[in-house]
Amino acid sequence: MPIFQSNDLKRAALGVAVLIAALLPQVASATLGQPEITVQTDVELAHASIKSSEDRTGYRVHEIQLPSGTVMREFVAPNGNVFAVAWQGPTRPDLRQALGQYFGAFASAPRSKLSDRRHVQIQQGDLVLQSGGHMRALSGRAYLQSAIPSGVSLGDLH
Amino acid sequence: MVSMRALKMGLCVLLCLSAIACGGSDGTSGGGTPPPPPTSTVNTASVIIDGGPSASSGSVNTMFTTVTVCVPGSTTSCQTIDHIQVDTGSYGLRLLSQVLTLTLPVETLANGDSLAECTMFVDGFSWGPVVTADLQIAGETAHSLPVQAIGDSRFTNIPAACSGAGGTEEDTVSTFGANGILGIGPFELDCGDCDTVTNNGFYFDCTTSCTGTMVPANLQVPNPVTHFAVDNNGAIVVLPSVAAAGASNVMGSLIFGIDTQSDNASGTQTVLTVDDLAELLVTFNGQTFANSFIDSGSNGIFFADSSITTCAAPANDPTSQIVNFYCPASTLTLPVTIQGMNGTMTNNLTFAVGNAINMLENTDFDAYPQLAGTLPPGNAGSFDYGLPFFYGKRVAIAVQGAMTTAGTGPYIAF
Repeated sequence: MPIFQSNDLKRAALGVAVLIAALLPQVASATLGQPEITVQTDVELAHASIKSSEDRTGYRVHEIQLPSGTVMREFVAPNGNVFAVAWQGPTRPDLRQALGQYFGAFASAPRSKLSDRRHVQIQQGDLVLQSGGHMRALSGRAYLQSAIPSGVSLGDLH
Repeated sequence: MVSMRALKMGLCVLLCLSAIACGGSDGTSGGGTPPPPPTSTVNTASVIIDGGPSASSGSVNTMFTTVTVCVPGSTTSCQTIDHIQVDTGSYGLRLLSQVLTLTLPVETLANGDSLAECTMFVDGFSWGPVVTADLQIAGETAHSLPVQAIGDSRFTNIPAACSGAGGTEEDTVSTFGANGILGIGPFELDCGDCDTVTNNGFYFDCTTSCTGTMVPANLQVPNPVTHFAVDNNGAIVVLPSVAAAGASNVMGSLIFGIDTQSDNASGTQTVLTVDDLAELLVTFNGQTFANSFIDSGSNGIFFADSSITTCAAPANDPTSQIVNFYCPASTLTLPVTIQGMNGTMTNNLTFAVGNAINMLENTDFDAYPQLAGTLPPGNAGSFDYGLPFFYGKRVAIAVQGAMTTAGTGPYIAF
């Protein structure tokens, strides 16, 4: 059953937003927990481009290519809100933009003698942030536990 | 006459020792007797796994060495710095400005602006200018080496493109956990495309503020080994076996060069070629993980296995990172296969997973061969074989293009 049937208008609006983003040097970027059409100009993503937007069963994925080589994916629930972001590549994307109000949880994650420079796992309230890898190959994801659409597997969020 | 000669020799030995201790003297001030010609460059530095610099909050399974840096061209403006982390999973020498007493010159771009770098680690970032220094470690030297000066007070205006990447700002000894880091992974540069991509995320052109810039390769921060005059094709980490329960102050060697001297000759070790991300294949629990890596900068063995009990957070520290480590009721011995991009596979390799809470109870220890943890599921596809891999082994890391009798780099061999 198509899940976006009642959101044709929203889809059309997004289509325009994506088209504009593709045509302009600056890209519209959504934020975790916010509507996908929350168009916010993002200086850090200024030279990024949307590679693809794909409807999957139960959600939609926008794939954004950064000049550094990093690929970022934003996962959108049927209600139109971003429920997860994931990244893979030599740099992290602008997470201040992508995480929005949840950015502080990552920036202030505590360090201890068990810290190394290779792992992060944060669970704070609704937010889960997980990252691993090494120089030249960083990967990670952040999602809102309560916002994951039913039927979506955590394993798909990468 | 004989005693006079012995006296002179003794004086020479004393002077040589003091030269090693200060790291900056040229050791030729002893008068008439010339020193014997060197048979070869001293290519072995010692390493230690200890709790890290006192200004840090401590560390586990973290390997450190000591370097001497000098103002380029100077033999007197030098500083010896201990607790430099030895990291086979990164590239380049980075020093915490907090411990630097030297004023090292900042690199300038063709337009005269200063060059700074944002180094993104998984859990945060380090910001600071690229400076040049003459590096000495063991008997090896690298002249005018680009080095990142992390947390330099002259460069406090961190661009949003750096801080926005998130995580901890690791610009002090306390937040970085070391006085610096020596990245000796199997490539020369820390960034693959920074000579052609402007907004590469690594390098910044700074005046009063900083913006992304492409940078010629010779200005980028390199694996210092590749800039040594000799012994510059890789490095070998030699660590002793460590008791299952752990140990303190484990000492080992960092040997520079492969097949360049008698002490770094290749033998019959297993040579595993790595891909352009320094990754290889690990098969564990019947599953092959294509983005796996062997890495002295990881403080445990990290992999996903939902059948192994993870540790519970202590009541007085509910946000403890211990929950990301394994705590099996009894020690597990698990088989693992590592395969290089050259197709070569290891045989009969196993690793042990101990109870992290039990082993960490002995807080005098810093080296734990059985410390293992969960891999963040966001990093599925990896098996991260950290410092415990190196205990009891002699592990060679050959840089890209290195031609050794064992093979052509990039490879890891043990």
